[in-house]
Amino acid sequence: MNSNIYPFSPLIYEDVKSFWNGCGQHLLKYEKCSSCGHIRWPASLICPKCHSRAYTLVESKGKGVIYSYVVFRKVFHPFLEEKVPYVVATVTLNEGPIILTNIVNCDIDKVYCGQDVEVKWHDLDDVSLPIFQPIIAE
Amino acid sequence: MDLKHLKDKYAIVGVGYTPQGKVPGRSALSFHVEACANAIKDAGVNKNDIDGLILYRDFKPLKGDISASVFKVAEQLGIRPFTLSQEADCTRTWLTHAIGLLEAKFCKYILVSYGDNGRSGGRKSVNELEGDTPTGEEAAFGDLSTLSKFGMLARRAMYEEGTGPEIWKKIAVAQRKWANLNPRASFYEKIMTYDDYLNSDYIVEPFRLFDATPVTDGGRAIIITSSERAKELANPLVFIKGIGSSNTSLTPNQLLHDDVISGAKIASEMAFKMAGIDRKDVDACQIYDCFTYTVEATLRDYGFFKPGESKAWFEQNDIGPGGNFPVNTSGGLLSEAYFMGLTQVSEAVMQLMGRCGDRQLGVHPKTKAPEIILCSDNGGVFQSHNTLILGRG
Repeated sequence: MNSNIYPFSPLIYEDVKSFWNGCGQHLLKYEKCSSCGHIRWPASLICPKCHSRAYTLVESKGKGVIYSYVVFRKVFHPFLEEKVPYVVATVTLNEGPIILTNIVNCDIDKVYCGQDVEVKWHDLDDVSLPIFQPIIAE
Repeated sequence: MDLKHLKDKYAIVGVGYTPQGKVPGRSALSFHVEACANAIKDAGVNKNDIDGLILYRDFKPLKGDISASVFKVAEQLGIRPFTLSQEADCTRTWLTHAIGLLEAKFCKYILVSYGDNGRSGGRKSVNELEGDTPTGEEAAFGDLSTLSKFGMLARRAMYEEGTGPEIWKKIAVAQRKWANLNPRASFYEKIMTYDDYLNSDYIVEPFRLFDATPVTDGGRAIIITSSERAKELANPLVFIKGIGSSNTSLTPNQLLHDDVISGAKIASEMAFKMAGIDRKDVDACQIYDCFTYTVEATLRDYGFFKPGESKAWFEQNDIGPGGNFPVNTSGGLLSEAYFMGLTQVSEAVMQLMGRCGDRQLGVHPKTKAPEIILCSDNGGVFQSHNTLILGRG
């Protein structure tokens, strides 16, 4: 399947523009509260911890560990037919936020919670998706 | 929160059923209307006395159908209540709203209903696919369906606590055995063994087909009023002894294992405190079971066993017919039918009223007539939680 015709894309609404704009440059950028240091993820107008509006954009180095994952075995949409089986996961980035992603370049039966992973990028026509692969020990 | 002043003050006085399972040729609205009319009849109240109508969320109407709105349901019941409401998104507000409306004396009789024609109408297990091409962060990663959201948390529980299919199969099979005693149940005539469970296909691993609740046609309704008014009605008394509620509210992919635990824990502690009872006083549980793991998680968070002890607990306790710890005696969402929390609550009411036929606790061999039944209702993905403790009046 040509990934560029993959019909599903993130909805880039106002609050999450800075994140997806960063992805366009292959950077994982987050809003960090200037007042209390909390990373606002999902992004929001105010910090859910202290209600400050002020923030700075910080960049993740793109490494983290798998918090949890599932393996899609059933095809829920024709466009996913060639993709199954595939792994949907949440990854805890070393900088704190947990993001939804796919785990690729892996043996699906050997994915595990706590596995070290690093970002790589899946480029669609108008957006890049941060996906992750296991870090192979050298 | 001290809710002791509400203990035994309100009662559930009627249950409305409809044909269920696969019932073609019906609107979603018609299931609400039939369930509501039957609940009114069952309670023996005058329809014009219904002054509160609360509906569970409406799913997006299926092709060729209209939205089952609360206006429409009231219109077709020919009632003009003081208040109408419908749960937004997938919150669980009906219980505390109903009690609040009664306590403030805005209302005397509150009708709560759920209805859908999803089975015949072809409702997908993947609600993202019911409209146009799905967009959003989740769709972008192929994270479609509620299965994956619960599955992700179930997988983390496997990692944290060592649970998994060997426990979930016991839940699926025990509930199927209850359904085999319930002529209304979708799976009344279908036996399930552990091998059937283990041989069923993975849909979204770690969940197999039999870990997930099927879509149903049908409706279910209940009526809540004061215990004083309940005493004037014909049905056996079922009092509300304890209620609790908690809303974790986090986006599913932001929920941590401990967040899952907190919602049900807070709600149940509130309900136990209000009822002034302990876990050992509970005769049966009706636990919201959108997935098998939800049952395990809720029993754990309600304090029946500690995190990591579910394997031992399920070895020492039998939740099926004739077992020491009956759970989901109608078959539950998994094997009876999906009416959201009303599957659980209506079954608890009917068990306490002694109206459950072959599966009636106290009638079925090796069971005891129940005095106290504990119910849970879960909305979203562990995002909204109600606990309800009911007792024989």
